[in-house]
Amino acid sequence: MGKSVRDLVKYLDLRPGWRAFIDPFILKLWNNPERVAFHMHRITGVITAFFIFIHIITTNVPARAGWEAYLEEVRNLEAITPTSVLFYLAMGAVLFHGINGVRLILVEALAWGIGRPEKPKPPYIAPSLRGRQRALIHVTFALWIILWLALGYVMFLT
Amino acid sequence: MAVFDPKVATRPPPRKVKVVIRKYNPETGKAWWQEHEIETYRGMTVLDALLKIKEEQDHTLTLRYSCRMAVCGSCGMTINGTPRLACQTQLAQVASNHNPVVRVEPMYNFKVVKDLLTDFTEFFEKHRKVKPYLIREDIEEQENPKLEYRLTPEEYEEFYQYSLCIACGLCVSACPIFASDTRFLGPQALAQAYRFVIDPRDEGYKVRLELVDSLDGVFGCHFAASCSAVCPKEVDPAAAIQRLRSLLLKYRLKLFRKKINGPVEPLREVKEKVPLPGDAQTLDGVDLEALENQPVVIPVEILSK
Repeated sequence: MGKSVRDLVKYLDLRPGWRAFIDPFILKLWNNPERVAFHMHRITGVITAFFIFIHIITTNVPARAGWEAYLEEVRNLEAITPTSVLFYLAMGAVLFHGINGVRLILVEALAWGIGRPEKPKPPYIAPSLRGRQRALIHVTFALWIILWLALGYVMFLT
Repeated sequence: MAVFDPKVATRPPPRKVKVVIRKYNPETGKAWWQEHEIETYRGMTVLDALLKIKEEQDHTLTLRYSCRMAVCGSCGMTINGTPRLACQTQLAQVASNHNPVVRVEPMYNFKVVKDLLTDFTEFFEKHRKVKPYLIREDIEEQENPKLEYRLTPEEYEEFYQYSLCIACGLCVSACPIFASDTRFLGPQALAQAYRFVIDPRDEGYKVRLELVDSLDGVFGCHFAASCSAVCPKEVDPAAAIQRLRSLLLKYRLKLFRKKINGPVEPLREVKEKVPLPGDAQTLDGVDLEALENQPVVIPVEILSK
């Protein structure tokens, strides 16, 4: 066992890229919000998967304990409780994953907004980093924050 | 390229710079950080600094370099956390008077052979896998060509950018997918696949499209676009992969018709009389018809004087 762990450590040491996978911010790249969106898409994807799992259990309440218990649970989401805060955070993850997913379908499947191939010239910024997809990233982040705040307003303040 | 500001690059670097190098000894399997302090001069690159250290302070320092002008793509390394070519990076770009420290590591996502030297075997195997050469059905014609293949400037511009790749491996070292899945073909190989798929002189596009149609191929990419952000030659592998994927979708839906160019037609000898414009007038005393019938004689003795 000890030997295999040592081998694994040696393997990871020989492949410094694994450290970049564990710590996304080990690489310092400028002019690259796509990478931020990529890491956030991964993290929010994991949160969304957990949320769906818990969501199935919680929506199962009427079958187990009747509608009264279910309504009680839903009513709890209105006040600021640990459950509602967790629900709000999970909703943020779901929102980002959804909005960013639409952007990714446009960019990845349809190759939308990544510019035309060109003859490189200074300051050597690639066309895909200058194309319309960059504007779409800003729209994605803006839309996410606005919708998340709106959701918070609807959940907690109305 | 990752933030190249000419104003910053032409500034003098700090007079003394601390270079911190990640050393690795393959015999003992030990890795450690080693510090060196060097005096700099204006225009000193990181490669110059490393060679100065190798010359004066640590002769065992191992690195790969060749042309010193960002053409060969040998000296890729992680400098202050950013994959860069050492020869193309001025010390002034990465070290300032507030923080005169330069951390140099081997490139990520590659096996380290020793110190800053990385193993490119896998990288070139993947490059070879996508068949980065022109494939023709008529092999006899390709091996013994009589004339070149047709290629218009517009067609050339479609893939010119991707043909500038110097195989330095910076895109692979920045790729977050490659960090977690080493079977992934990588941005370099996929960009080269796209370069040959859209080349109108190539007929092997079906082989390549079948090859990249997997999770280790184009569907592994999730557009973090870090490859394009670090590319020193503005090859833009991220865009190439997205185009390759949309092209693959069209190919699977049988909507992709590739235009394939054959050899150019041989030049014909045209013996036509070019008509004179209507308002053209000959000089006095010049008979055009007599001149046309007269053979052209070049007075060689006058030319040789």
